[in-house]
Amino acid sequence: MRSSTSSPTSSERALEVHRLTGPARAPLIHDIELSAGCGETVLVLGPSQSGKSTLMRHLVGLELASSGTVAVDGRSFDPTKPDEKALRGLRSRVGVLFEGSALLRRISVLENVELPLLEHTHRSRTRARGAARELLAEVGIEIADETMPAQLGRAGQRRAALARALALRPRLLLLDEPTLGLDSQAAHEFDDTLNGLQKKYNFGIVIFSHEIRHAYGPVNEIDVFAAGRIVARGTRRQLIESDDPVIHGLLHRRERER
Amino acid sequence: MMSLPARSGDVASRPNRRRFLTSEWPKWPPGGLRPVGRFLSTGRVALGALHWLAWIIVSPRSVVSGGVAREIDALGVSALRLVGSASILVGLIATFQVAYQLKQYGAESVSALAIGWFGTREVGPLVVALLVVTRSASAITGELAAMTTGGEIDALRAMNLDPVKYLVAPKLAALCIALPALTIISDGLITLGGWLGTTLFLGFNSRFYLEQIRTSLSTSDIAIGAAKSLAFAFIIAIIAADEGLGVDRRVAAIGEATSRAVVYCLLGVLAADTLVNAIFYFIPNLI
Repeated sequence: MRSSTSSPTSSERALEVHRLTGPARAPLIHDIELSAGCGETVLVLGPSQSGKSTLMRHLVGLELASSGTVAVDGRSFDPTKPDEKALRGLRSRVGVLFEGSALLRRISVLENVELPLLEHTHRSRTRARGAARELLAEVGIEIADETMPAQLGRAGQRRAALARALALRPRLLLLDEPTLGLDSQAAHEFDDTLNGLQKKYNFGIVIFSHEIRHAYGPVNEIDVFAAGRIVARGTRRQLIESDDPVIHGLLHRRERER
Repeated sequence: MMSLPARSGDVASRPNRRRFLTSEWPKWPPGGLRPVGRFLSTGRVALGALHWLAWIIVSPRSVVSGGVAREIDALGVSALRLVGSASILVGLIATFQVAYQLKQYGAESVSALAIGWFGTREVGPLVVALLVVTRSASAITGELAAMTTGGEIDALRAMNLDPVKYLVAPKLAALCIALPALTIISDGLITLGGWLGTTLFLGFNSRFYLEQIRTSLSTSDIAIGAAKSLAFAFIIAIIAADEGLGVDRRVAAIGEATSRAVVYCLLGVLAADTLVNAIFYFIPNLI
């Protein structure tokens, strides 16, 4: 087992997960192997309640794993007993967009985005506010300073959450059901914005979703996830040609969605 | 099985849905020792909140401090009407009850003495605390529980930001300011209710009532009442916040946590009040 303190590894990849099992109190995910390079997009595709969100929570230290290792941007941490220093190092390199945006409702959208800038950088409030406005403009939102999250539509909230996740210029972006509940046009616009930002900043992306539509976007690898395990991995073409019942079911749903 | 290489073995049986939905870290220790874990969790929240409360006092121009004013408005200012009307009624009730008891001994005229002393030292802080528990403890727990199930708490943690600092410390600071202030206002209004009862229904004049109140009241009574309310504020904020932050990730769990918070806060306030009264009974010259 690796030490819980951050240490450089030989890998240059944005994310490397090796034999991850957890949560420690009652394992729901088993022997997960996952990796994503900088500038790459990996889709973890699986049905609802299969443990995708639990896997994502392990990657940012929100769940305690029973075994395995996680390395982000070449620095590893022990997910079975992460210490404060290791978690700080990890979380400064990872941006997370939770399902349903998870913006703080009691503060404005702008304050949501400037919060990590004020807490984790040495910027003054004025400079943090300016940077937050720029981030919001980058994700396609132009709003008044006082606009509250509830005043934005679902797509706007998702974009604001994306701006917050990107505030510290992470090397890895984790997205949990990023376009769930968005109409087709809003979902495509969100994908376009995300891809544009990835090209600009070259961060790795891991999308956790049950929506097969993500498989038809610019993804480098698709990991099919079921009952807490990755049961298959490959490109979109390989999946289409597969006769596996789980994958077949997912692709068949795509046809129904169309 | 498909031709693709599967790195992670066979598909396991579907995990137990309830266990999956209630997964939340940390939940330690398991089983029969859960009450111990709960106590430790409350202690951890209390220590964290005290730490960040000190930080707010030292650094009042911080990000968190903006939340304190908002919380004072939500937890204190908007409770003024409820506390005000309830206090006047309590003053009237106390007048009737005390006068009724003393009437048997022909001592009806000294009822104002009891109202002034007992109202300020005991009834005022307790009534305000109980009103704030029913009104605000449930609101605090509900808000934090909704944030937990909605992922906002996780979002804060994922950004390496302490939810206790951003969400609990401002509420604790606000209650520590609002509760003593409401208690002092309540003391005044209980006295007003007592004056209404004494003059309108018992037939004594205002000058007599005010002299009785002046005789019975001392600054230390008001200070003890305010100090008690400070302790109540701490109990209410910590118990309500801990219940909200420790909620399971189920929507139904919000209602359960809210009910539990109100019950535990009521018991906590009454237990603390009993303890203070016992201390003053056994050590009468403490203040």
